[in-house]
Amino acid sequence: MLKIEHLTKTYGEKKAVDDLTLHIAPGEIYGFIGHNGAGKTTTLKSVVGILQFDDGEILINGKSVRTAPLDCKRDIAYIPDNPDLYDYMSGIKYLNFIADIFGVSAADRKERIRKYSELFELTSDLAQPIAAYSHGMKQKLAIIAAWLHSPKLIIMDEPFVGLDPKASHLLKGMMREVCDEGGAIFFSTHVLEVAEKLCDKVAIIKGGRLIRSGTMEDVKGDDSLEEVFLELEGESC
Amino acid sequence: MLKLLLKKQMTEIFRNYFYNPKKNTARSKAGIIGYIILFIAIMAGLLGGMFTYLSMILCAPLSAAGMDWLYFALMGLLSVLLGVFGSVFNTYSCLYLSKDNDLLLSMPISVNVIMASRLLTVYLMGLMYSIVVILPAVIVYWVTATVSAGVILGGLLLILLISAFVLTLSCALGWVVAKISLKLKNKSFITVIISLAFFGGYYFFYFKAQTLIQDLLANASVYGEKIKGAAYPLYLFGRVGAGDAFAMAVVSAVVMALFGLMWVLISHSFLKIATSSGNTAKKVYKETAVKQKSIAAALLTKEFGRFTASPNYMLNCGLGIILLPIAGVMLLWQGGTVISVLNEIFGERAGCVPVLLCATVCTLASMNDMTSPSVSLEGKSLWLMQSLPVTPWQVLRAKLSMQMILSGIPALFCTACIAFIYPFTPLELLLAVLVPMLYVLFSALFGLFLGLKMPNLNWTSEITPIKQSAPVTIALFSGFGYTVLLCAGYMFLNGWKLSFVGYMSLFGAVTLGLCGLLYFWLKKRGSKLFAGL
Repeated sequence: MLKIEHLTKTYGEKKAVDDLTLHIAPGEIYGFIGHNGAGKTTTLKSVVGILQFDDGEILINGKSVRTAPLDCKRDIAYIPDNPDLYDYMSGIKYLNFIADIFGVSAADRKERIRKYSELFELTSDLAQPIAAYSHGMKQKLAIIAAWLHSPKLIIMDEPFVGLDPKASHLLKGMMREVCDEGGAIFFSTHVLEVAEKLCDKVAIIKGGRLIRSGTMEDVKGDDSLEEVFLELEGESC
Repeated sequence: MLKLLLKKQMTEIFRNYFYNPKKNTARSKAGIIGYIILFIAIMAGLLGGMFTYLSMILCAPLSAAGMDWLYFALMGLLSVLLGVFGSVFNTYSCLYLSKDNDLLLSMPISVNVIMASRLLTVYLMGLMYSIVVILPAVIVYWVTATVSAGVILGGLLLILLISAFVLTLSCALGWVVAKISLKLKNKSFITVIISLAFFGGYYFFYFKAQTLIQDLLANASVYGEKIKGAAYPLYLFGRVGAGDAFAMAVVSAVVMALFGLMWVLISHSFLKIATSSGNTAKKVYKETAVKQKSIAAALLTKEFGRFTASPNYMLNCGLGIILLPIAGVMLLWQGGTVISVLNEIFGERAGCVPVLLCATVCTLASMNDMTSPSVSLEGKSLWLMQSLPVTPWQVLRAKLSMQMILSGIPALFCTACIAFIYPFTPLELLLAVLVPMLYVLFSALFGLFLGLKMPNLNWTSEITPIKQSAPVTIALFSGFGYTVLLCAGYMFLNGWKLSFVGYMSLFGAVTLGLCGLLYFWLKKRGSKLFAGL
């Protein structure tokens, strides 16, 4: 589903991501963890085509992000760490805008908007301008928008930040559902307990370099993910 | 703390003068000097020059008639009008809608300090506009009438008092807009309508100015006595400039008292308004049938949504939408008189009148510069356009299309009205339509070019990219420059020798060439720039 090969991205002199290779197969929830500034967001933004990278290759369903960006973007959805949406639109206008961009039919969008906005208890607020939304409501709206076109691969940067417990639980279920239907999820998080319970595979990044990756069992063994993570952080120091 | 906050505000406003967003580096000294010279040339050269000329017309006859106070009262009122006109539209945004209000309010900073830093920004904006009127007026008085220590003190005090009064008025109006905004549903449009009424009054006064000045100079003593009798405060206000100690003391006390009142008013309501989300009834969502739109239509709708959601955007970058049809109707109504007057003045050279009419359409169309701030206005939401399956060119094309529609249709209407009143031959008519349309295209392309070359995505108040950015200023004045060139080329650079058809064909061809260059630049380099922002 997603192949990141030798990805390198530099900002001036600093290597934000250094020769990172990672493969994500259909059906996998892949967690991406690391300290602040480790290179998680840079990697995710490179995958979704926001950042142009220096070296390496990123393939989504066999298509290169570099040479076929639109084909790749049609297959994915992205939720950033901060849901800066179009404040001047109402929630429903934003959802319809996203649906138009992805070519979601009127009937499909109607059904999906109804389904997800009811699940996230956002229906009554859809006519409100996004400017009036709380952070959590914006995050919910960004999630609904991401699910609108039934993407095959969903990339999320800290998706649980700002969500209430019920919405977090709901999101976890939706992520599993996507993978059960043959899709894949690649997301970053600092909440190691969530990663441990939810992810099939996990990758740990530090200073732009991948320091461990694989199935949850391979990475943590009999220890907790938190212990392994802190140990690896210590080793690298 | 105040100094720190003010520095932050100033850094934001003048960011592009010192920082190159494209290279993410500080500008070179030469670059900074170049930007500052451009700014001074526009403010001091163009606006200042205009008001120096007006001061020179009024000063000598009024001071000779012993009506010095009337001269200062008139120029002072004009200065207040321009100052308020220049700053009132951003006072509300700057005071109450700044995105970092919440952040600053959460910090151990006194509300009064936050307010003061915002007010200082408003003050500087007001001062920037008011000083281009009153400073030349004061200097012209010193040069042509009289100069003494008292007069110098009075002149300097008048400048200070006017700037303080402009701040007070702008804040009071900003407060009124804020109070109204909390209650209104369609606040964007209502704000625009109110503002347009203000504009209407301003332009009415502007167009009547020449007659009023002549009338005033002819009957200075009569009007002077009437004003002195009926509006004594205005008399005192004018006397400040002439160095009257009593007037200086009274007017200073009144201005300070008004400022104090305004401060109390705002400080009592600032926190409530700045943190309020409004108490209008919540809109209830009702599911309705929706038609699927194409990507181009969706992007265009998004651009229209952005434009109509912001009174600042509409007023600062879309005045031509209103002015073009108004000009068209006015020409239908008074066209015969206008053409005969123009024929009397420029009749010697054939084709001058239709060139001037086309230039009028271009001038009014140049007041629409929506594309200039449109890239910066993407702000922190830029990630959406970069991560969605749309090409950068599709995004840029939507921005161009919006300006083409909003400028092109009114410009066509205005040209159609001109066609009714001026006897064009078919070929002349074709060119009279084509050249303004090409200009509309050129201004949209050029504005977008500037917006891409000088983007500012990290603003905290939308007024920064809309009103205080280099792309908007350059786009606006380049538009005026284009029309000046169109007229000057015909009248003074032997363009008339080519005849209307020849000259307009040549001018149109050059404009088309420039459009072509900009179009291909935007499609190739511009798209790359947008993707890499």
